Amino acid sequence: MNQRVRVTSPQTRLALRRRSDATRRLNRLAGQPQVDRSAIDLADAERALHRQRRLAVRTAAALLCALAALLTAAVLTPGRLGWAVLFFAPYPVLLALAAFHVRRAERIESEYGEGD
Amino acid sequence: MLGLAAISLILASSVAIGVWGVRAARSTPDFLVASRSIVPGWNALAIAGEYVSAASVLGLAGLLVKNGVGAMWYAVGFTAGYVLVAALAAGPMRRSGAYTVPDFAEYRLGSPRIRRMCGLVVLVIMLLYLLPQFKAAGVVLELVSGIPYWIGVVGAGLVVSSTIAVGGMRSATYVQAFHYLVKLAFIAGPAVFLIALAGRDRREAALDLSADPDWSRPLLDLDGSGHPLLATISVLVATTLGAMGLPHVVMRFHTVAGARAARRVAVSVIVLLSMFYLWPIVYGLLGRVTTPEPEETDVVPLLVPGAILPGTAGAVLTALVAAGAFAAFLSTSSGLLLALAGGLSHDLFGGSLSRLRLGVVVGTALAVALSLPAADVDINVLVGWAFAVAASTFCPLLTLGIWWRGLTAAGATAGLLVGACTSTGAALASVVLDLEPGVVSVLLAQPALWTVPLAFLVMAAASRPGDVPDWAGEAVLRLHVPGRYSSGDTGAIPRARRGQRAPQGSLERVDASGETG
Repeated sequence: MNQRVRVTSPQTRLALRRRSDATRRLNRLAGQPQVDRSAIDLADAERALHRQRRLAVRTAAALLCALAALLTAAVLTPGRLGWAVLFFAPYPVLLALAAFHVRRAERIESEYGEGD
Repeated sequence: MLGLAAISLILASSVAIGVWGVRAARSTPDFLVASRSIVPGWNALAIAGEYVSAASVLGLAGLLVKNGVGAMWYAVGFTAGYVLVAALAAGPMRRSGAYTVPDFAEYRLGSPRIRRMCGLVVLVIMLLYLLPQFKAAGVVLELVSGIPYWIGVVGAGLVVSSTIAVGGMRSATYVQAFHYLVKLAFIAGPAVFLIALAGRDRREAALDLSADPDWSRPLLDLDGSGHPLLATISVLVATTLGAMGLPHVVMRFHTVAGARAARRVAVSVIVLLSMFYLWPIVYGLLGRVTTPEPEETDVVPLLVPGAILPGTAGAVLTALVAAGAFAAFLSTSSGLLLALAGGLSHDLFGGSLSRLRLGVVVGTALAVALSLPAADVDINVLVGWAFAVAASTFCPLLTLGIWWRGLTAAGATAGLLVGACTSTGAALASVVLDLEPGVVSVLLAQPALWTVPLAFLVMAAASRPGDVPDWAGEAVLRLHVPGRYSSGDTGAIPRARRGQRAPQGSLERVDASGETG
């Protein structure tokens, strides 16, 4: 007779359920136990982010320039040479851009921590 | 009949590899990303196998015959996208520990609502991409065996959905890697024979520039709009930026061991794609000579061998090319269906494995039903739209989410809405309105040139600095720092800090770093 019952509005129940859903999903995403946050140097992480961002912006800009140059070259080169520029030239350029970026990005990473 | 036999052989070996690859897909991670145990080399092959779709195997050569050599800008853009994937997305996305783009959005922005919205965008992109794949299966089967188009499409749907529903991503990886090799061998091999056997006259005619200056100009003109440079640039923007936002490509990077491996896989994919994109040129240039006015542009590669070599030799080569094209359909559609099923069940309804399997079946049914009336639309047009929508939605979301802590859930929502509505709206309008060829028609048919900057702008402008939650900075940093901070998977950000924007959160962070950031 004296049992206590928790009374909540339907809105609150909905909100609670939604929150617990989100938590479950996040935990499932995590897949690993919580990393100890005090182990990280946030200032270092900040510097790593800035350097990676600068590198990424540079690579994107280089890609833009490369595509623009290829387009111009293909249009301006007369005859079959223009075809060759369109058919064959882009791929080595793209590969070089990507490979260069990955090398630089890995070097930055190795300065700021072990592992992946 | 020879063609049908070759296709059956491909199908049988795909199923065999799929069965071999199944290691009892039990949980959702197993099913979606093969529990992250797939070796990088296989992964690069699988990504390339999934990415080289019917649009590349069939569509490019057809477009080259129809619109001119400028069609190869599609291939350049498809490949250039991977430079951006390597530079902007692959590593950080892998570190985020999220399985799909909607997962990432929820991790980064902490809002279940934005997850559902991303799920919807995934549906739109994947359906736009699946349609042409099923169309390709239908026309290939129709050409080699005389099976009516609709039976081919429905049969292809049954085959793909049943293999996926049984095996999931693990089997898909090996099957797709196998399909890349099949595609390369069955497109490149016959191409070499065709060059050798075409005869001097045909070879010279294929390289003849003088016939049609509009056709031989290395720019992509859309239906004689008169603005080829504008159209070329817009196609390049869509394909380059779109590759980064394709949900099934992003999902693939979660099946490698870590962030570094993910980046390197992206570079390997560029190599594999460059090796493939040399061959559609051969079919396109020879097709221009042998079948200048094809009824159905998308089957040009299947018509060329028969036109050059009548008799058994031609039939054998046609069968090989048909098998390669069918492999393209199989691998791309299975990758797309996985992402679509993920979107349907995992993101929209928060589901279990059985729901995921149901998602595959529902997704196939949708795609099959939609591709029946789409028989007349060029493959590359549809694929181009899928890229344009991806470029206008997920590309800004991932770029800003990964590199800018100021992105908020409200900003992302606004940007996604604007990007999705303008890009799909423009594509629809270009079909429905039947405009005069001109600047407007180009910008509607290839909307990426204006919709992508618009989406970026809206996303950035609608993210008010006051709304940036306290944990956003940490969520971004986790994506970029290797080592203990984010070994393999990042842990979930604690619930307590996720829910509030209390000032003590930032104090706590300064303490944790031991110094002021």
